[in-house]
Amino acid sequence: MKNKKWRLGVPRALFYYYYGPWWETFFQALGAEVVVSPPTSKEIMDLGVSLAVAEACLPVKVYYGHAAWLAGQVDALFVPRLVSVEKKSFICPKLMGLPDMLRAALKPCPPIIDTTVNLARQPEEGLAAAVQGMARALGVKGSRVDLAMAAAEARYHAWLAGQQQGDSMAAADCREEEPASGVYRSSSSQGKESRDALQIGVIGHGYLIYDQYLGMDIPGKVKRLGGKVILPENLTTLQVEKACRRLPKRLYWTLGRKIMGAALYLMEQENVAGLIHLTAFGCGPDSLVGDLAERYARRRGKPFLLLTLDEHTGEAGLNTRLEAFMDMLYRRRSA
Amino acid sequence: MPTIYLGIDVGSVSTNIVALDEQGNVLSSVYLRTRGQPIRAIQEGLRQLVATIGTDISVAGVGTTGSGRSLAAVMVGADVIKNEITAHAVAASYAVPGVQTVLEIGGQDSKIIILRQGIVTDFAMNTVCAAGTGSFLDQQAARLGIPIEEFGRRALESRSPVRIAGRCAVFAESDMIHKQQQGHPLEDIIAGLCEALVRNYLNNVGKGKEILPPVVFQGGVAANAGMRQAFNRALGTEVIVPEHYGVMGALGAALLAREIRPKASAFRGFELTGREFRSGGFECQGCANHCEVVELREGRQVLARWGDRCGKWSNAVAV
Repeated sequence: MKNKKWRLGVPRALFYYYYGPWWETFFQALGAEVVVSPPTSKEIMDLGVSLAVAEACLPVKVYYGHAAWLAGQVDALFVPRLVSVEKKSFICPKLMGLPDMLRAALKPCPPIIDTTVNLARQPEEGLAAAVQGMARALGVKGSRVDLAMAAAEARYHAWLAGQQQGDSMAAADCREEEPASGVYRSSSSQGKESRDALQIGVIGHGYLIYDQYLGMDIPGKVKRLGGKVILPENLTTLQVEKACRRLPKRLYWTLGRKIMGAALYLMEQENVAGLIHLTAFGCGPDSLVGDLAERYARRRGKPFLLLTLDEHTGEAGLNTRLEAFMDMLYRRRSA
Repeated sequence: MPTIYLGIDVGSVSTNIVALDEQGNVLSSVYLRTRGQPIRAIQEGLRQLVATIGTDISVAGVGTTGSGRSLAAVMVGADVIKNEITAHAVAASYAVPGVQTVLEIGGQDSKIIILRQGIVTDFAMNTVCAAGTGSFLDQQAARLGIPIEEFGRRALESRSPVRIAGRCAVFAESDMIHKQQQGHPLEDIIAGLCEALVRNYLNNVGKGKEILPPVVFQGGVAANAGMRQAFNRALGTEVIVPEHYGVMGALGAALLAREIRPKASAFRGFELTGREFRSGGFECQGCANHCEVVELREGRQVLARWGDRCGKWSNAVAV
């Protein structure tokens, strides 16, 4: 397929929310046409739930949905095998197996570019191998690869810097803020105690927080209830890593450490009123990290709300908990 | 003409209405089964309320709470719409000043609320499991052929409660059947079930919470003497069951309405019990989300719509 312009499908799910801009820029610079699936919708989620193995967590099921949505309209899917993205730390094993799981589930399945990314032992060599592997899959070699990588790195770092400055975040996927539905708007405008913005840390995996459908738009809901949201990606790597040093042992899940570090950093900040941890039902790493974060928060007297999402989650239950949490924080402050 | 404040709690299992006078005394309260028909339950509840206190009253404020609070608010015309946690905490503080822990077990959910100096400092609700809530007790009482009202009293007759797995309602049931087959007396099984439910509640909902006295136990399940005794034993302190334990959500909503003292209440009048309300739903085909939109109609007029993520339908109604 050397002389043809590739149509390369990139599912808008899981690590897209961490590396999407890098991938897009890189493949475009190599001459491919990158097709990113649309933001998660009920249709995509239903598709994923029907295809995925029952044991998978909801974000993985949603990934299936995005891949299936793309399958019929691209020449190949980009589903990297993410083992590790930094030294001595790892990505959840469910994500390592994605290419194989998709090949078994998608019928028909387009070719999958499943470059292994493993930086656990030798970060530089690992990264170089991954980049060369991705380029080779598209039949590109030599200096074009270096140029593409430079462009990808530049865009990626600019994007990261934007996130840290609290750039409406929402990664590559930032839709305009939607109007609240009539009913909840009326309920949240009730009880106008001194409703100056309370700073709320919302922690969790990026693919939950920034996926408005899957993650039920928790940051947006908190904003509508009068909160000012701080997300893990608004913090610098240094802040997160420094906070993590307080733990007796190093966490070896990359995302788990990021969540825990953000939690520890935020719970030390006087002006942060409370923390909300968003997690997916059945998430292995979160079952430990979440509990750890909650214990530390309790010791420091920082209010902590755990919200667990699964495919049956009704919005009403979530709204009740969020409203009650915000009420509690307002009443605490005015007391 | 006396002035009253109304609190309406529309829950999954029961719909409760409380009328307060200006001083905060409960004039009347109504407890009804929702039976999946919140509109009818609200109308019937108001009818019963009027039957006891008469129509020669002026409603100065209305508060709604519970999972059906939005529906109730639109239908009745509410001045405050509050979540159940806040409503229950407000009511518990009012009934037992200085309360530090509120245990609330309702039909399909259960919660724990921790207060310090009158302020909610922490809370939790049951997550994906309804084991140990009122519905399960109801179901087991029916299976054993005992009226739910007698269930608790029978538990008190037990001398050595059997151990039952309380983790999951399904397993608890198979455990109970097994114990019955072995020949354990009914009261020991019932008492064992109460202990299992309390254990499950404290381990799940109450996980890691600092439960300090005074402890208030409210919600429909607080009527059950077996559950009260099991809590007393497990916590090593006497739980307090307030007088209006079954309608605390509604009481809290009424207190909140009284707290804000609206200049003119949004209440739409008791005539609404005679009007025809209908709710209906449809799936919007506007985008890939296929939101399930619900609408409430009075006669031919659409009062409110909700359930759409984009606001296309809900904003189209002038509320």
